[in-house]
Amino acid sequence: MFSATVEGKGVILPAGASPGDPALLWLHVLSDLAMGLAYVSVPAVLLLLLLRRRDLDYPWLIGLFAAFILAGGATHLIAALTMIQPSPVAEGLAKSVAAAVSVAFAAALWPVLPRLLALRSPSALAREVEERRAAEERARESEARARESEARMAEFIANLSEALFVLRVTGAGEMLVETVNPAFERMFGVEAEALAGRPVEAVMPAALLRPSLPRWREAASRGQTQEYELNADLPAGRMTWETVLVPVRGEDGRVARLLGSARDVTATRRLQAGLVQSARLATVGTMCAGLAHEASQPLNVAGLWLRRARAAGDDLPATQQAMLVRAVAIVEDQLRRAGELVARIRALAGDEPRQAEVFDATHPVAAALQVAATQYAPEGITLCMEGAVADVTVRGSPARLEQAVLQLLANARDAVLERRRREPGAPARISVALQRSPGRIAIEVRDTGTGIPDPLREAIFDPFFTTKEPGRGTGLGLSIAAGVARAMGGGIEAWNLPEGGACLRMELAEAATPAAPRAAHVAA
Amino acid sequence: MGRAAGRPETERCRILLAEDEALAAMAIEDELLREGYEVVLAPDGQAALDAARVAMPDLLLTDLRMPRLDGVGLIRALRGIAPRLPVVVMTGYAPAGGAEAFRSTGEGPVSLFTKPLDMDAVLAELRRLLPSGQGRVPETS
Repeated sequence: MFSATVEGKGVILPAGASPGDPALLWLHVLSDLAMGLAYVSVPAVLLLLLLRRRDLDYPWLIGLFAAFILAGGATHLIAALTMIQPSPVAEGLAKSVAAAVSVAFAAALWPVLPRLLALRSPSALAREVEERRAAEERARESEARARESEARMAEFIANLSEALFVLRVTGAGEMLVETVNPAFERMFGVEAEALAGRPVEAVMPAALLRPSLPRWREAASRGQTQEYELNADLPAGRMTWETVLVPVRGEDGRVARLLGSARDVTATRRLQAGLVQSARLATVGTMCAGLAHEASQPLNVAGLWLRRARAAGDDLPATQQAMLVRAVAIVEDQLRRAGELVARIRALAGDEPRQAEVFDATHPVAAALQVAATQYAPEGITLCMEGAVADVTVRGSPARLEQAVLQLLANARDAVLERRRREPGAPARISVALQRSPGRIAIEVRDTGTGIPDPLREAIFDPFFTTKEPGRGTGLGLSIAAGVARAMGGGIEAWNLPEGGACLRMELAEAATPAAPRAAHVAA
Repeated sequence: MGRAAGRPETERCRILLAEDEALAAMAIEDELLREGYEVVLAPDGQAALDAARVAMPDLLLTDLRMPRLDGVGLIRALRGIAPRLPVVVMTGYAPAGGAEAFRSTGEGPVSLFTKPLDMDAVLAELRRLLPSGQGRVPETS
């Protein structure tokens, strides 16, 4: 029936096809149907793709493409239908719709071409992703290296024995602590966190601040690197630092930061000062020994002949004898004073008739303190012993050590009295401390006196140096003490205390206990 | 050199005084004579040694710095003859180690006095060192 229908209707065949061939007709119909269905199926796939992948570029173009295919498919389906039931109108309409869609698609496609060309292919994208990953890897590695280097630097700064500090200089000229390293914390007994961001005047240790502030201000205002030696009196003693200040300018050209480093050279300076002192004392010692000898001869003769003169006066008349006795007494007294001076000079030469022995330093120190306490009590001066340690053995002469400590105490007393003369309400206190560190014994005498003016610091141990008015003090006391300390394997130094007054520290070499050499002797 | 007149020699202690400073020697000799000692005076160490060889003293009172032979050399030489000889040293220098420094010179005692001399202390030391009953001058005889 189907074939009859086809034959009856007189199907329009494509050119070259012989009419009335049903097989050829079905070939056309089935091919058109297959194409039409395929053309409908492709847009369905595209629509599904669009629905699932909302991120695709140019969805409208894909839509238009789907419509283009669909329109093409529709013409094939219509063609299949018109094979069986010819309808030029339907065919023409379908073709015109397909043509419109095709033209629209083609028209839309050309302008989009450059952009489509610019679209990266998935392989290009993969390559790009790979490149990015490599770049990220490189960045991570370099960051890790930087972190490692920073950690090394931080460790270096943390373990550096030099104290480092960074000060921030504000526009108003105020200086704030930015950071300090652990060596700084240790050296000055501060905590970095407590300092950070705060004004130097409020947080820096006074002993450091006082001598440093003018330098910091100068470096900030002049913008020049400064190198200088800084001295400060801390509770533990006089300290010396080699300091370098480096100003760092900000973008506006103003000094924005000061980088500072301070190296503790106290031990080196102390050693140098000790050597200078030793050399000076050695020269002075030779001089004094000669002087004592030469001066002792005429004094000796004068003294001996004075005794003869007095004895010869026994036969004189009473009035003349009285005059002679008075004259002899006066001359004798003057000779005695001159003789005492010679004895002191001789002591200074270290040329004293004494035997070195090993003894406990606590005893002569306590004895000196007791003598001084009794003498100074009427003057309202308090003496006390602080931080005593037992069994501190030294080698030398106990009597000389006692003398030396007495000299330090006498010096402290004079300073205390002088201050009280200037300020009647000033405290009058002298404290003595005996300390032990490995191999060393220290005797510290602290007073609440006038302190030592800086220019005199080096001179106070020189023989005949005195700040006292003529007639008071020979200027030999401290140099005798220095000589004793030197003879006992140590030295002496002085510094001012932050709270006022001075501290004189005598250091002595610790000796092996007396038992040890004796045992060695028995064994030998 | 002098002697306290009128005393038998055997009763008095002989002190050898070695001192190069003539004025000092003279005054010291005077004091010693007044104390009743017999004094042999020598202007240097060598002269003192020569005098000791003639008549050995009971005590040596000597300076340290002297021409020809110094005090230490003199003490050593005399102690070679009389090891227990007591010695009193008078010096403008004070040797390091004091009297102990003379220990090597012999067994006898050494006392050290620095100049200017405290003559009363020296005389007291002489009285201590020399055997009692000797060297003292009775007020009358």
